[in-house]
Amino acid sequence: MLKPRFVLGAVIVGLPLALALLGPVLAGEPGPRAASFTLGGGHWLGTDFVGRDVWRQVLLGGRSVVLVALAATALAYLVALPLGLISALTHRGWLEELLMRPLDVLLAVPSLLMILLVAAVLTPGAAGLALLVALVNIPDAARVVRAAAAEVASRPVVEALRLQGESWWRTAVGYVGRSVGRTLAADAGVRLTGVLYLVATAAFLGVGVEPDAADWAVMVDRNRTGLFVQPWAVVVPALLIVALTMGGNLLADAALQKRRRT
Amino acid sequence: MSGLRSWAARRLLLGAAQTAAVVLLVFALTEALPGDAAVALAGDQPDPERIAAIRQAMDLDRPAHERLLEWAAGLPRGDFGTSLASGRPVSTYIADGFGPTLLLASLTVALLVPVGVGLGVLAARREGRLADRLVSSVTLGAYAVPEFAFGVLLITVFALRLGWLPPTAVGYGTDLLAHPAALVLPVVVLLTRPVCSLARLVRAGMIDALASPYVAQARRYGVPGARVRYGHALPNAITPAAQQLARTVDWLLCGVIVVEALFVIPGLGTVLMNAVAERDVPVVQGLAVVFGVTTVVLNLGADLVARRFAPRAEMAA
Repeated sequence: MLKPRFVLGAVIVGLPLALALLGPVLAGEPGPRAASFTLGGGHWLGTDFVGRDVWRQVLLGGRSVVLVALAATALAYLVALPLGLISALTHRGWLEELLMRPLDVLLAVPSLLMILLVAAVLTPGAAGLALLVALVNIPDAARVVRAAAAEVASRPVVEALRLQGESWWRTAVGYVGRSVGRTLAADAGVRLTGVLYLVATAAFLGVGVEPDAADWAVMVDRNRTGLFVQPWAVVVPALLIVALTMGGNLLADAALQKRRRT
Repeated sequence: MSGLRSWAARRLLLGAAQTAAVVLLVFALTEALPGDAAVALAGDQPDPERIAAIRQAMDLDRPAHERLLEWAAGLPRGDFGTSLASGRPVSTYIADGFGPTLLLASLTVALLVPVGVGLGVLAARREGRLADRLVSSVTLGAYAVPEFAFGVLLITVFALRLGWLPPTAVGYGTDLLAHPAALVLPVVVLLTRPVCSLARLVRAGMIDALASPYVAQARRYGVPGARVRYGHALPNAITPAAQQLARTVDWLLCGVIVVEALFVIPGLGTVLMNAVAERDVPVVQGLAVVFGVTTVVLNLGADLVARRFAPRAEMAA
């Protein structure tokens, strides 16, 4: 049985996600540039600040947000998973302290601030932005992994495996790693919406994107000057971002509650 | 009591370590440039004169650890160095932007607690009914929406279509209090995410507390309903929320930067974004230290307060 919130989330997130993934295929060749901020004239949603067709930009602009967010989430776990597993399974207190304490300290730095600091001296591209967002997510992700793994590691099964003389690798990856998978899948959903927020906000502030990039967040920023003449160039991408994050969060929460109940 | 004291000491130590880490991190991230920092910072106008000026202004000929020590030693005295772009002391930049940001932040926090707690209690009292489902769904949905997208939609509706409120704070200068209409939309946008988070936590805590044996016992004694709810259940429900308030500080700082950019408010966030655009490293460093240390101190305060209210709650320190 599907919960209504699950369906609601899926419906809300469906449109922006479909646009983001299929849009670039449907966009076609760019037409000739028209005047800035006009309505009509064969342009379904008018033109943007440099006279490009807004509908085409909308079709193209979702992919970067979604792909950067997915890459950043995956990267964060790539680092957090071994960190958390090792510190949960080690019997050396100093090793755990060495791995986790620096992360406690890092948790205090506001995430957007860290991204802006790097942006002040380098000009990160899309890959750089993904790396940065992943970096600020590592401390929290590692703590979640460690907490989940510590719970599993205290089970009698792990003790039995150890007494049987199974290798550390088989215990850590084969048993503990597999058992925390479900918890982490739920956490990944919530983290992905947080990452989407950060990626979109950074793009809005001009970090990790070209100033005229086809990106929903950049469109909102650049077309703001024409809000009074041509609101569609701002409202449509803004609505798509709202739908993407809102639906994603409803979906992640519904999935999380299903897990808790079973 | 000794447990509390030693816990507080450890928490203070962590706070001090975090402050030191913020200072170190700010320095490392902005100075650990590949190649010649002066050339990299000169950016679009790499003429030798400008490169030499930057090298001189930032003392780049001296080893990094000497510069770090000198810079860090100046911080407690309010000496943040001088701007590369204008040659003015960084502290004047901070003083200029301080007023509007403080106003925005304090208005938001002042409204956050009553609105968030109010919504949470309302939802908990009507658990499972329409009001609860409405509050729960809206707070969950709005929780992850970026401020800029939400803000731009509000501007379109309330400033553009209805004409009720000004779209930006352009033309009002730093004296925003004299123009309350210009503050409505920024504060609403800033409030959204923290209110959602707080309301959800209070709702969950309140539902737990209302189902607890001590509330049932108080009801059996005939204690009036309002007193049970607000005198007994609410303080226990608020504790987990108080710990989470610290996380809200992070959001508030991110939010302030975005909201100031969106509504063109001349606060610290705008100063920071301008400095980032101009690659004015000393200004960026100074503001990052102010933002970072504020976060650390507020986190520390929230933890100490939460611990005071519910000494049995487990907390990392």
